[in-house]
Amino acid sequence: MGLPSLTLLGQSLLSGLFIGALYGLLGLGLSLSWGMLRQINLAHFALAFLGAYLTYQLAGAGMDPLATLAVVVPFFFALGVLMHWLLARFSVSAFNSLLVSFGFTAIIEALIQWIWTADFRRMESAYGEVKFRVGALYVALPELLTLAMALALSLLVWAWLRHTYTGKAMRAIAEDAPIAAAFGVDVRGLSLLLSGLSAAFAGVAGLCLALSYTLAPGQIYAWLGVVFAAVMLGGLGNPLGPLVAGIVIGVSEALTMALTAPAWAPLVSFSLLIVVLLARPGRI
Amino acid sequence: MPAANQSVRAVLGALLALALAAQSALAAPSGPPVRIGSTLALTGPLAATGLVHKIVGEIYVEELNRKNGLLGRPVEWVLKDDQSRPDLARTLYEQLITVDKVDLIMGPYATANILSAMGVAQRYNKVLIHHTFGTPSLAKYDMQFPAGGLAGDPDNTIPRLVFDALAASAKPPKSVAVVTSKFPSVHFISLGAREAAKKRGLREVAFLEWDFGNRDFGPIAARLKDAKPDFVWVGGLGLEGNLLIDAMRKIDYMPPLHFHLFPAPGPLLKAAGGENALAATTFEEHAPFTDNPVAVEFIRLYHERGAKAGLPDTSVENQSAISYSSWQTLEAAVSGAGSLDDKAIAQWLKKNPVDAIVGRLRWDGPFNYIYGTDLYKVKQNQKGKWVIVWPKEFAAPGARLITP
Amino acid sequence: MRARALAGFAAAGLGLSAVPFFGPPAFYESFLYLVFHWIVLAVSWNILSGYSGYFSFGHGAFFGAGMYTTATLATKAGVPFLWTLPLAALVAAVFGIALGAVVFRLPRLRGELFALLTLAVTFVLATIVLNTPIDGGPGLYLSAVPLPAIGPSPSSTFYLLGLALALATLWIAREVQRSRLGTGLFAIHDDEDVAEVLGVPTYRYKLAAFGLSCGLAGVAGGIQAMFISYVTVGETFSIAVPLNVVLMSVLGGSRHWFGPAVGAAAVTALLYAFTAGDYAVAGHAAVGLILIVVILFLPEGIFGELIGALKRRRVPAMPPIDAAGLPAPAAWPGKPEGQALLEARGLCKAFRGVQALAGVDLEVRRGEILGLVGPNGSGKSTLINVVSGHFRPDSGRILFEGRDLARLEAHRIARTGIARTYQIPRPFAHLSVLENVALPAMFGRDAQARADAEREARRWLAFTGLAAKAMSLPGELNLHQRKFLELARALASRPGLLLLDEVFSGLTHAEIDDAIRLIREIRARGATIVFVEHVIRAVMELTDRIVVLSYGRVIAEGDPRAVMREPDVVAAYLGKPRA
Repeated sequence: MGLPSLTLLGQSLLSGLFIGALYGLLGLGLSLSWGMLRQINLAHFALAFLGAYLTYQLAGAGMDPLATLAVVVPFFFALGVLMHWLLARFSVSAFNSLLVSFGFTAIIEALIQWIWTADFRRMESAYGEVKFRVGALYVALPELLTLAMALALSLLVWAWLRHTYTGKAMRAIAEDAPIAAAFGVDVRGLSLLLSGLSAAFAGVAGLCLALSYTLAPGQIYAWLGVVFAAVMLGGLGNPLGPLVAGIVIGVSEALTMALTAPAWAPLVSFSLLIVVLLARPGRI
Repeated sequence: MPAANQSVRAVLGALLALALAAQSALAAPSGPPVRIGSTLALTGPLAATGLVHKIVGEIYVEELNRKNGLLGRPVEWVLKDDQSRPDLARTLYEQLITVDKVDLIMGPYATANILSAMGVAQRYNKVLIHHTFGTPSLAKYDMQFPAGGLAGDPDNTIPRLVFDALAASAKPPKSVAVVTSKFPSVHFISLGAREAAKKRGLREVAFLEWDFGNRDFGPIAARLKDAKPDFVWVGGLGLEGNLLIDAMRKIDYMPPLHFHLFPAPGPLLKAAGGENALAATTFEEHAPFTDNPVAVEFIRLYHERGAKAGLPDTSVENQSAISYSSWQTLEAAVSGAGSLDDKAIAQWLKKNPVDAIVGRLRWDGPFNYIYGTDLYKVKQNQKGKWVIVWPKEFAAPGARLITP
Repeated sequence: MRARALAGFAAAGLGLSAVPFFGPPAFYESFLYLVFHWIVLAVSWNILSGYSGYFSFGHGAFFGAGMYTTATLATKAGVPFLWTLPLAALVAAVFGIALGAVVFRLPRLRGELFALLTLAVTFVLATIVLNTPIDGGPGLYLSAVPLPAIGPSPSSTFYLLGLALALATLWIAREVQRSRLGTGLFAIHDDEDVAEVLGVPTYRYKLAAFGLSCGLAGVAGGIQAMFISYVTVGETFSIAVPLNVVLMSVLGGSRHWFGPAVGAAAVTALLYAFTAGDYAVAGHAAVGLILIVVILFLPEGIFGELIGALKRRRVPAMPPIDAAGLPAPAAWPGKPEGQALLEARGLCKAFRGVQALAGVDLEVRRGEILGLVGPNGSGKSTLINVVSGHFRPDSGRILFEGRDLARLEAHRIARTGIARTYQIPRPFAHLSVLENVALPAMFGRDAQARADAEREARRWLAFTGLAAKAMSLPGELNLHQRKFLELARALASRPGLLLLDEVFSGLTHAEIDDAIRLIREIRARGATIVFVEHVIRAVMELTDRIVVLSYGRVIAEGDPRAVMREPDVVAAYLGKPRA
C-alpha cells in the first residue's frame, strides 16, 4: 500500500473537520440548554432530524434549501419556547428532563416515520453538486456551509454571552438564577429565549444534515453518543466547546481511518478523549 | 308474455342464482381461520424494509382469502412489532406460539431476529419459513426453510456471480478494492469476495473495513481514490453504500465499476453517483420474470399498496420478491402436505421444490440449504432503472453490463 | 427489621419461583425474565449513580464485558454456562474497579465529565471487541452451548436465573442503602467534599459501589448472552442499555433501592403493551407520551413519590426531646491544659498564582479558645481548610498529637478528632437534620453504629436547640438554625479540636449571645476551639488568645485587646494613617 499521500491526509483531515463541524452544530443547542438551563434535551436530535425532513419536504416542493430556514427556524424557535415553558411549569430537574425529552424524542420519531415512512430519503439539491478545488483537495459546498454555520452560530453565541447585557444576564442565570433574578434579570424570559434559540439551532443543524446526508428516522440515535461526547468534552454551556471538541473527535477519527484500518477509528478518538480528561486540569 | 315462458324464465333464473350462490360458497374459504403468526421490524432501524414485508404479507393473505384460503379455511395474519430487537423477537414468537396459539409461524426480518425466532421454533417444533437470513452457517435447525434464494455458501456464490459477470463484460477489471462493514451478515461475504478476486488473478489495491456505526466515509473515499481500482466491491448495509457514494462524489471520484451487496435499492437508484452501480437481486420488473402472470399481478398490487403506504419507491425488487416467495412456499407446502402439521409441512418441503416468482426453490441440501448455486443475479442501475445484466438468460431484453 | 425484610425476600423468592411449575405459557416466563433482567441493570446502576450522584453513561460497557466473557468462555473454552457467570461478574467488576481507581482520584472528573468518561469507555471497549479475536466481526453464537435444566423448560430456566439475580441485586441494593456505605454515598451525592472532611472515605466507597454495580451488570450480561444466543458488538454495546437504565431509574425513583425496579417493570411492560402490528408507530409515540406525563406529575419517580407520600403520612416530627432527660454530652477525655495541641509550621498554599498562605507558623494550646482574625483575603478560611484536610498544603507541616496531618487524606484527619464548620453552611440537602448530625458520629473518631450515632446526634441537637427540627430537611431551616446545625454536626464526632469558620456572621444580637454561651459550654466540656471571626465583640468576649493573619502570614499573636491595638494590625485592617 505504501505511505499515504499528502492528498489523502489532507482530504481526510478536511473530512474530519467537516463532520466535526456537524457534531459541533448538533451539539451547540444541546450544550447551551444543558449548561445554562440545566435541561438535558435528548429531543434535540429528534428535532434536528425533523428539521432535516422538513427541509427535504420543502425543497422537494421547489423551495431553495437555504430558504427553508425562513420557515424552519421560527417554527423551531416556537417549539423550543414551548418545550421550556412546559419544563419550567413543572419545575423539571435535570435528570427528569432527560426522561421528558426522551419521551419527546419517541413522539417526534414516530411522527417522522408516520409522515415519511422509515425509508431512506436523500435530498438532491443544486448545492449538493457544487465543489471547490483547493490544490489537489476538494471541498463540497454543503460541508463548507455546515462549517460556516457552525462557526458563525458558535461565535455569535459566544459574542452574545460575553459582550451583550442579555448575554451576561444569561450567564448570571446559569450560575445562580435566584440571585440573578434578585438583580432584576428576567430569568423566565431569557430562559425561554435560550431554549427557543437552542431549538432553532437544531433546525439549522437539520438543514445541514439534509444537505449532506441520507435521512432515516432510526438515524436519530446514531449521532447521540458522539455528539454527547463532544458536548461534555467541550464544557457545558460553552458555545465554542462542542465545535472544538467535535472537530477534535472528527479529525482524530478521520486520520485514523486514513492511516490504518478504519474500524479502529472510535478507539482512537475516544481513547484520546479519555487521555485528555485524565490529563488536563478542567475542560477544553 | 305467455305464462309458460315466464315460469321457465323464473325457474332458470332461480337455478342460475342457486348455481352462482353455490359457486361463491365453494370459492370463499370457510371455517375457523388458519392463524399465521410472525413479527416484523415495524419500528426501529430496520423499519424501512420491515414495511416492505408487511405490505407483501398483507397482499398475499388477502389474495389467499379471495381464493381458497389455506385448506379451504380463511387465513388470519397475526403480526407483531419486534422493534428491530432480537430479544423482543424471541419473546414475541413465544407469545405467538404459547399464548396466541397460532397454527403456523412465518419468519421475521433480518438475520438476528430470524435467529431468535429459529431458537423458539426449534423449542416448539414449529416449521419456520424465512426470507432474509444472511448467515446460513448459523442455521442449525432441521425445520427451517430459507425462501430467499440465497445459497448455503453465499461467500462463495455471490462473489462468483459478480466476478463472472465482470469477466464476461466488455472491459473486465484488473484491479479490485474491497470495502466492507464489519456487520456479521455482510462481512463474511466480502471476505469471500477477496478470496474470489485473488483466485481469478485480480490485483487487490485496497481492503478496508469499517465499524457499523460509521458516519464519516470521507477518508475511505479518499483512500479508494488514491488506490485507483477498476472495480470496487462495497459490502455495505442499509444506507452505508449511499454514504460512501456521497463521500466519493464530494471528492470528485467515482470508481469505474462498483457493486453493492445489500443496498437500499430505491435510494441507490436515485442517488447522483449511483449510475451504473451494480447490485445483487433475485427479481426485477422485466422479462423473463414478467412472463409469469402471478408475478405480474403481484407487481400491480404492490404498486397500488406501496403508493398507499407512502413508499417512495414502489417497484418490486429483491426484498418484496423474496417476501412473496416465502408466502408462496408456505401456501404450497400446506396444500402439498394437506395439513397444518409442522412435521408434515417440513417433510413435504424437503422433498418438493416450489416454483416461486424468484425461481425454483429447493431444500434438499444439508440443513435445507443448497450449496454452490443460488437464485441471485447481477443488476445494474441503467438510466434510473434496475436492469438485470447477468446471467444472460435472466438479463432484461437487450441489456448488457455497461462498462466505462 | 432486617429479619423481617429477609423473610419478605425469601417469601417473594419462594412464591415467584413456584410460578414455572404451574406451567404458564413460555411467553410470560420470558417476559418476566426480561423484567428481572432490566431490574438488575437499573438497580445495579442506581447503586453508584443514583445513590452517589456519579452519573455513569457506561453501564453498557460492563454489561457487554459480562456478556462477552460468558459468550467467549462458553463457546471457545467450553466452560459450562453457569460457571461463566461468576467469571462474568469478576471481569466486569475488575474492569470497573480498575477504571474507578484512576478516575475517582481526580476530583475534577465529576458530574458530566464522569458520564462522558464512562461513555467513552463503552466506545473504546466496543471497538476493541470488534477488532480483535474476541469477536472480530461475525459475532458469537451460543446455541450449541447446553443450558442447564434448572426449570421445567428453557424459558423457565431463564426465568429462575433472572429471578435469583434480581432478588440478589435488590437485596444488595437494600443492604448498601442501609449500611454505612449507603449513608456515605448519599452524603457524597449532596456534597462530596464535606462528606470527605467529615470522615467518609469517599474514594473507597465510590470504588465499592462501582465494583458492585459493574459486577451485577456483568452477570446480567452473561445470562442475556444465553438468552439471545447470538452476541454481536452492535447489539451489545448500543446506546440502549445506558440510556434505558437512566430512564428506568429516574422513572421509578433513584433515591431508594426499589425505585429503579419499579421503573424497569413499568418500561418493559410499556414496551410490550404496544407491539400489535397495526399501530406500531402510534404505539411508539404513546410510550413517549406516557413517560412524559408520568415524570411531569411524579417528579420523584413512581416509587419515590409513593415513599414520600408514605413518609409524610406516617410519623409527624419527632416530639421534642426533653433536654433535661438526656444525660449531658459526656465531656471528652482531656489532657493537661496549656500544652500544644496543634502546631502549624511553615504552611504554604497557593491557588493559581494567589499565595493564600505564605508560611504560617502557629500553635494551638489545649483547652484554649484561639481567635483567628485578619482582613478579608488574609488566608483565615484557607488555613481552616488546610488543617481540616479540605485542601492539601503545598508545603509545611501540621503536627497534631504527634502526627503530621499535611499528607493525610481528609477523612483520616476527621478520625484524628478534628472537626470544622463552614462559613456558609453546607448541610447535606437531602438528608434530614438528624441524619446530617449522625453522619460525623458514624464516621468520626468513635465510628459509632447508626443507632448509637443517632442517639448522640439527638443529644447535640438538644444542646444546640434544634431538637424540634430533627426530622426536617436543612432547606426548611433559617440561617441561624443552619449555622447551629453546622455546629451540632461538628460536635457530633466529639472532636478534640474544633475549627469554627465565621459562626457568628449573619446572626442577630440575641443569637450571638446564644452562640457565645454555647461555645463556652463546649470548651467547658474539654474541647479546644479555633475560630475565625469578624464579629469583634465575640472575639473579645470569647478568646483567650488571638492570632492575626495578613496576606497569608501571621503578623501578631497574643492577648486579644493588646494585639488589636498593635499598629501593624491596625494597618492591616484599615491601612496606614496618613501623616
